[in-house]
Amino acid sequence: MIRLDGVGVRFHFDRHQKVMTPVGARLRRHGSTKWGVRGLSFETAGGEGIALIGPSGSGKTSTLRLLAQVYWPDEGRLVVRGRVASLLSVEAGLLHLLTGRENAALLGVLGGLSRRGSRRALESVRERSKLGDAFDQPVSTYSQGMRARLGFAVADETNPEILLLDEVHEALDHQFRAIVEERARSIVEAGGVVVASGHDHEMLARLCTRAIWMQDGQVRESGRFDEVQPRYLEAVSALA
Amino acid sequence: MRSLRRNAELLRALTEADLRYRYGRGPGRFLRWLLEPFALVGVYLVLVTFVLNRPGHAVGLSLAAAIVPFQFVILTVANAMEAINVRRPILLNMRFQRKLIPLSSTVTESTNFIASFFVVVVMMAAYHVAPTPAIGWLPLIVLVNFYLAAASAYAASLLGLWAHELKPFLLSFVRMLFFLGPGLVPLAAASSRSQEILRFNPLTGLFEAYRSIVLDGQAPAPWMLLYPLAFASLMLLVFVPLYASEQSQFAKVV
Repeated sequence: MIRLDGVGVRFHFDRHQKVMTPVGARLRRHGSTKWGVRGLSFETAGGEGIALIGPSGSGKTSTLRLLAQVYWPDEGRLVVRGRVASLLSVEAGLLHLLTGRENAALLGVLGGLSRRGSRRALESVRERSKLGDAFDQPVSTYSQGMRARLGFAVADETNPEILLLDEVHEALDHQFRAIVEERARSIVEAGGVVVASGHDHEMLARLCTRAIWMQDGQVRESGRFDEVQPRYLEAVSALA
Repeated sequence: MRSLRRNAELLRALTEADLRYRYGRGPGRFLRWLLEPFALVGVYLVLVTFVLNRPGHAVGLSLAAAIVPFQFVILTVANAMEAINVRRPILLNMRFQRKLIPLSSTVTESTNFIASFFVVVVMMAAYHVAPTPAIGWLPLIVLVNFYLAAASAYAASLLGLWAHELKPFLLSFVRMLFFLGPGLVPLAAASSRSQEILRFNPLTGLFEAYRSIVLDGQAPAPWMLLYPLAFASLMLLVFVPLYASEQSQFAKVV
């Protein structure tokens, strides 16, 4: 279950427009603040896929990071109930100097598995990420697609009820993309939630029945995907 | 109990990853772990023992008793200053217990400290200094050393976030504490006025405590442990709540 009630995320900048923590900004005589998202309200009880659509900088990534509880709300109330798996950046949570295996062991524990459970899952992660021998190579040698595959395989090992995907799935090859889509559908069918953002609207249409159109850090429109998405594309065409 | 076990597992996982960063992998890893402390403290030992040829009792051992705990603190500070940025990909992707990051830096560097302690053992052998029952105080002194390093790690990780460009300055400041304490010579070698001032340095008690047990074969005076303990507690009291409030902002900043 996910519920956002008037949620906002604020960024603090120093004089050089570098993002700082509030205390850091005070120490460096901060220049300004800006809301990444504000007044964000929506909820889902589960059993649906939600697409976040909107132009770059509209607050899609901030919203997904809120749901992953990577960002804390600076105002409003956020409730997320259920095991969350996320793929929110092209780095997919992987540390470059570690091998795929070492990353999988670490992320498994951080994702909620016991140390033993994480180690037990390593062969399954290797199998499902289809990395072969590269699993024991440093991640710095991986392509973006390989990283996304490993990130997804590790995240999926925690048996998530909420899956968050931020454009990263667009780096996947068609074969693995089909696997992600199938897994996302099974999560929704089991009563879970998938929240995805990206510019591949065909894929979003296959995964999501609902769309939230974001603009300037706020929800501009929310409703059925097949109704909201065409209106968004119309607005984009009108601007072009 | 369950949460404590979970935190212990997280800490172990973070530390193992950190150790791979630190020492790499493969057969050279153990050798690097063992030799690195010698490389780090060797320059001081060679300088004081052979080049300056300082008079006094077992000067090399006296120096090692200060350098080894000092290296633990300064390496922890250096590690902690990078600890949040190094974990950027994870911080941007998932939620986890971020309070453990500085502690993980401390545990990582404590493995270096264990290797460093061989330097003290080698020096004891070189100067024919046999261990006495006072060595029984070692675990307690090491605990105080760890506590001080951990407290410094919380402060350093925040400073690394707020003003990363000041890292060289902060490390120089910590290095200065070595020289503004009885690092090169025992406290007793300083004038009585200087001794009073040097005692304000939290490293002073620690250096002297190690010297007491390995060099003089005596139990450390209470102040040697209580003052660093109090200083570290004060740092934790200030920086842990600050860290707790700032951790919600880490993903925005890294």
